[in-house]
This record gives sequence, C-alpha cells and structure tokens, in this order.
Amino acid sequence: MSETQGVTITKTGQAGAFGGEILTVNFGPHHPSTHGVLRLIVDLDGEQIRGIKPVIGYLHTGIEKQMEALRWQQGVVVTDRHDYLSPPINNLAYALAVEKLMGVEVPPRAQVLRVIMSELTRLSSHLVWMGTSGLELGAMSMLMYCFRERDTILDMNEEISGFRMHTSYIRPGGVFADATPRFLEMLDKFIGTMPGHVDEYENLLTMNPIWRSRTIGIGRLSPEDAKVLGASGPMIRGSGIAWDLRKTMPYSGYETYDFEVATSNDCDCYGRYLVRMKEMRESVKILRQALDRLPDGPVNVDDRKMLPPPREELETSMEAVIHHFKLFTEGYSVPAGDVYVAVESGRGENGCYVVSDGTHKPRRVKFRSASFVNLQALERMALNHMVADMIAIIGTADAVLGDVDR
Amino acid sequence: MIADTLIIDRGVSAGDAWITVPSESVRDALSGLRSEGYRLMTFLTCVDHLADASRGGAPGEGLRPAAAQGGPPPVDDFPKRFEIVYQLRNLESREQLRVRAFIGGDPPKIDSVQDMFPPANWDERETYDLFGIVFNGHPDLTRILMPDDWVGHPLRRDYPVGGETVEFSQEHEKWQTAPEDA
Amino acid sequence: MLDPMGQNVLTTTLGKLVGWGRGNSVWPAQFGLACCAIEMIATATAGVDIARFGSEAMRASPRQSDLMIVSGRVSQKMAPVLRTVYDQMPEPKWVISMGACASTGGVFNNYALLQGVDKIVPVDVYIPGCPPRPEDLLNALMILQERIKAQGIKPRQ
Repeated sequence: MSETQGVTITKTGQAGAFGGEILTVNFGPHHPSTHGVLRLIVDLDGEQIRGIKPVIGYLHTGIEKQMEALRWQQGVVVTDRHDYLSPPINNLAYALAVEKLMGVEVPPRAQVLRVIMSELTRLSSHLVWMGTSGLELGAMSMLMYCFRERDTILDMNEEISGFRMHTSYIRPGGVFADATPRFLEMLDKFIGTMPGHVDEYENLLTMNPIWRSRTIGIGRLSPEDAKVLGASGPMIRGSGIAWDLRKTMPYSGYETYDFEVATSNDCDCYGRYLVRMKEMRESVKILRQALDRLPDGPVNVDDRKMLPPPREELETSMEAVIHHFKLFTEGYSVPAGDVYVAVESGRGENGCYVVSDGTHKPRRVKFRSASFVNLQALERMALNHMVADMIAIIGTADAVLGDVDR
Repeated sequence: MIADTLIIDRGVSAGDAWITVPSESVRDALSGLRSEGYRLMTFLTCVDHLADASRGGAPGEGLRPAAAQGGPPPVDDFPKRFEIVYQLRNLESREQLRVRAFIGGDPPKIDSVQDMFPPANWDERETYDLFGIVFNGHPDLTRILMPDDWVGHPLRRDYPVGGETVEFSQEHEKWQTAPEDA
Repeated sequence: MLDPMGQNVLTTTLGKLVGWGRGNSVWPAQFGLACCAIEMIATATAGVDIARFGSEAMRASPRQSDLMIVSGRVSQKMAPVLRTVYDQMPEPKWVISMGACASTGGVFNNYALLQGVDKIVPVDVYIPGCPPRPEDLLNALMILQERIKAQGIKPRQ
C-alpha cells in the first residue's frame, strides 16, 4: 500500500471489501473516450474504484524544446498546438509574455479583437467538451448540435485568419490581420443566435433525469481540496470559489467588460456542467460588448523592429528593406529577463513562462498547463466511485492531453 | 517577509517580483512564504543556463537578471547551471512571487516541496524527466512524459533537438549535434 | 489459388462485388491522438457526414474495424501502442495518415515525435494539412474507396 496525498492505492491480490480481490485494470491510451491518449491504471474492488493512477506522456511533443529552436515570431505557430481546443488563447499567453518583456502595448483595436477571439475560442472549447461529454454519457445528439455551432465559429476563424483551428492569429505585437466586414457580420449573426442554442442544450440536459443521475454527486471536489491541489477553471469554480483570471488578474482589457463569474456550490460534475453553461452565456455577453465597442485604428504595434513594414514601403524606403531583411532572417531580439503571464482558457489557468537571454530565440519557454494540474485532482475525485462513473469524472476534468503532455 | 538571511538576491523582471534563495534552504523559504499566505504553487520548472553552440558565450553569460535591471552583480550561486524556478501565488491578495534556486552537480539535487504544495508532485517528476534534477524526498520520482526506458534528459541544452535533417536548414543541423564544449 | 482463376469472368464480377461491399462500408478504428482527432470527430458530425460513405461505425475495438485513421502526432511513447493496435486489426486493413504530424512529423521536427507514422505502419493515403479540413478526410476516404474497389478479391501484398 502506498499513501499519496491521502489516497490509498492497494495492489492486486489484496482482499477487497466484498470478499474478492483487488483487480488492476488498464484503461489504455487507446480508448473510445475522446479525451485523447490518457492511460489510467485503476484498482477495482468489484465495481468500486480503490485507486486510480494516470499515466501520461503519450502525446509528448517536445514543444518547449522546439520553441527554443525557433525564433520569437516563429514560436507562435507552435503555441497553437498544445491546448488544441483553444489555440488563440495559447497564442495570447505567449504574445502577452513577449510583449511584457519587450515593453510594448498593443493598440486598442487589437485588444478588442484579441478578446473577441478568446471568447469565441472559449465557446468553441466548451462546445467540444459538451459534445464529447454528452456522447460519452449517452446523449449522442449533443455531439451533433454542439459541433454544428462549433462549425460556425470555425468558419469565423477561417474568415479572419485563414485557418479553422490553429489560427496563430494573436501574435506578439498585435494580431495577424484586421477583421473583415464579413467577419463582423458573421459575428453579429452568431451573437444573435447563440443564446438560443445554449437554451437548446439546457433543455436537453439540465433537467434530464438520466443526465442528472449520472452527474449529480459524482466526482466531488471540496473547495479546500480544489485550492490545495491548484485546480483552476471550472474545476475550482464548480466548487464555489469565484476564481477567474479574467476578473481577479485581468489582462488585455478584461477589466472593462461587464460579465459575471460562473460558480456553483455543488462541487460535483453537475455543478461543473452548470458552470460551463453559464460561462458560455457570459462569453456571448462579452462578445456583444466587444463588438459594440470595437474602435478603429491599427491592429499592430507600430514598431518596425518587431513587425515587418507593409510591402508598399519596401519600394521606397531603404530602412524598411533593412528592417524587413533583419526580421525575416534573424528575427527580433527580446531584452533579457523572464516573465510569467497567465490567461484563463476553457480549462483554467494557462500560462506562459518565458525566459529570454537577449537573443533572437527564447532561452526557455514553459507552458503552465491547466489540464496538467487539474488531472492531478482525478485521484481525489474518483475514489470510491463506480467504474462507470469514471468516464463522467474524466469528462468533467476536461483535460486536453496535448496540454498535459506538451 | 521571510527571513532576510534566506534571500540572496531580489528584483523585478517585467513586472514580476522574484527572489533568489540558496538551494539548501529552499524548503524553509517556501514554508515561510506559505505561512505568509502564498499557498498556491502555480508552477515549478527549471532553466538550463548552459552556453551552447547556437548562442556562444560562457555559461551564465546569457541571462543575468540582476545586472539586466541595473542591480548588484550576481553572486556566487549564479554560475551554477540549473535554475529551479517556483512561482507562488497568494490567492487572497492576488500577489505573485517567483522564487529561484541555482543548483549544479551531477546529478543536480534539491529538496522536494511536494508535501507543502501538492501541484508540485507532477511538476517535479516532469523536471526530473526532462532535466535530470533529482528531488530529494519525492515519493515517486519516475519519468512522466518520456518512455520509461528513455536515456537522457531532453530539455537540457546539450541534448540535441533531434528529428530529421531537412534540407536548406543549416541552423537545424547545428542543433542536431551536441556542441563541443557541452 | 486465385491466380489461375484470375481471368475468369465469374471471379472478376465477384471481385467487383467484394470490392464494392468492402469499399462502401469501411469501418474506421478511431485513433484520434491530437488536434486532427477533433476534425475527425467533426467529419462524423452532421455537417460533414461520414456516415454517407458507410463509415459511421467508428469502432473502438481494432478487431472490428478495417481502417485506422491516424489523426495526430505520434510520440515515442505512443508508437508501440499504435503498432499493437495495427497488428490487432484483421486483414484486409488500410491506414490513412491524417494531417502533417502523422504523415511526416509536421511542425515538430524533434526528439519526441515519430517523423511520420509510415515508419511503423504501411500507409495507404496521406492527408496534408494542419489540421486538414473534414472535407479533406472525406476526399482521402473516397480515394481509398477507389483503391479498395479496384483491388477486388486479390489479397494484398
């Protein structure tokens, strides 16, 4: 027997409470739950879980090492891909960190566009969570409905950046390109229709007796446990603690928006489901405010040492040519220092710790991943539940394995 | 604040407050900070300050946090190769503090703090896996991201980026091989 | 045994029938690893329906599927698992390598990833993209279906 953090893990062969033996089952990396390649070694006593040990690393991509080999502006492309359900939010963490080190502030239009993309991504991430959670617990039609809305969001992504998923839209110094009129139209239409869709999902699930019996009382995480284990995002808000980085440590202009932090005192899977539903509604509210106040102006910081000059200038100005050359061969250098910036993603606190040694490539980039820390709470949440509830619990933790393994 | 005897160096980098503590007293420093209210460890990681062929220069020459801010020159601890970074947060006052400790040696060792800060459990395993730092007192210090039988610690500076050689990429080829003075 | 029968009218018609049957009901073993997996799920949803092509039954068990869609990056730890799953699939089986990471390692040219899943399993169709659109996956499926139909009842080499 080994004690870890109050969790007792028993070994196969020991007597179980019902007269049988403890059975160690491997929920291997390839399993139908769509949360990626997570491996769980579960000790079962009959149907009850006596111990659960996640084994990760099956999606380790060496992103942090890769970023040391890429220049500052090239690194944005790689940041998209660790938490692959919310790429612009990862971009935002990295861009804010680099801008803090460079000491630049992006223009107001870029701030608002960043907020718009972040909230669209939060919606898209929660939609994927809802669709796959519904699918796993038996509500298969949720998958179809949620992905239909997500497709609208991806169309908007494509309109503004050319990519459906990994947009690389938010870059150090501003954003990739300005919003087209068609994008603003699509956004307007989306804001009008989305609350109706969220109502649809709530009608399907919130009072549904099957959904309720599969999620109420499952996966309890007390507020004290949540704080001690470092949980963030809906994991901690579902336990009643109103910790949302957009409100408590705001960035990118979030302090000027009027929205509520979704919490629930239920501390179980159902509570976290309610939190995510409310967050979707609040995101639509923020989008409305952002769209209404979108100011005119440039979308990139006007620093030729950081961003390339427009192509027309290259015909007339020698200096522009030199800047262009330098930026596309060596890239800009960021002053030495280190900084940590955290942003609120659909999962919780996603942060970027950047260490620069004054050259054109980072010394070290570390991503503080919300899923990595939230997954450590899995042991606490899943103990003494039935094995069938384990799927609900993994679903509620909403861990994206790309983020966990980086 | 925690006892000033424990703080070797302090400063502010791009708006983030940081302190340097000696690596032997990392547990005392962190438990002192914990009792002051910094009860959440946001992350724990390591930075490898080895100079390598892609940058040139002597070890430690790249990053000089204190000197970069115009502060006092770095002290004896600094030229050590590995810098362990802890980011602590006070949930009530919403302040953050970065704690650094420099260690060297082969294998580099430092005390584990996972009993004080549970999120550090997996962070320490990851740092062991990718950098080779041994955390004394960790209950289960095994590889977490790389396969169990992997040799080497990938995020160290002298470990090549790896992958396949591609054409027209001289820089990539330089990274493929370990530098001479590793 | 099939070679002397190869020119026989009956077997070519039988071959066409078998090819038609196999091609129109290719059951993928979902092997969603990373971001491409999300686009694979999107292919199965109502907007871009893969069920029209007979592939709605995305089997969790490799023993009940014919197609392995490797969608996502294959890390060093995952490679033996992938090979094990591939070995468990009964013949005839096909592999679609979806996305840049599965085909060649993609954006990540480093120690942690297999630079292309064709290093460990034989691949029939490669789909470029990061991630490819759901329509790209359908296109690849259609290309594969042409191949399956052309193959008939000849066993694969």
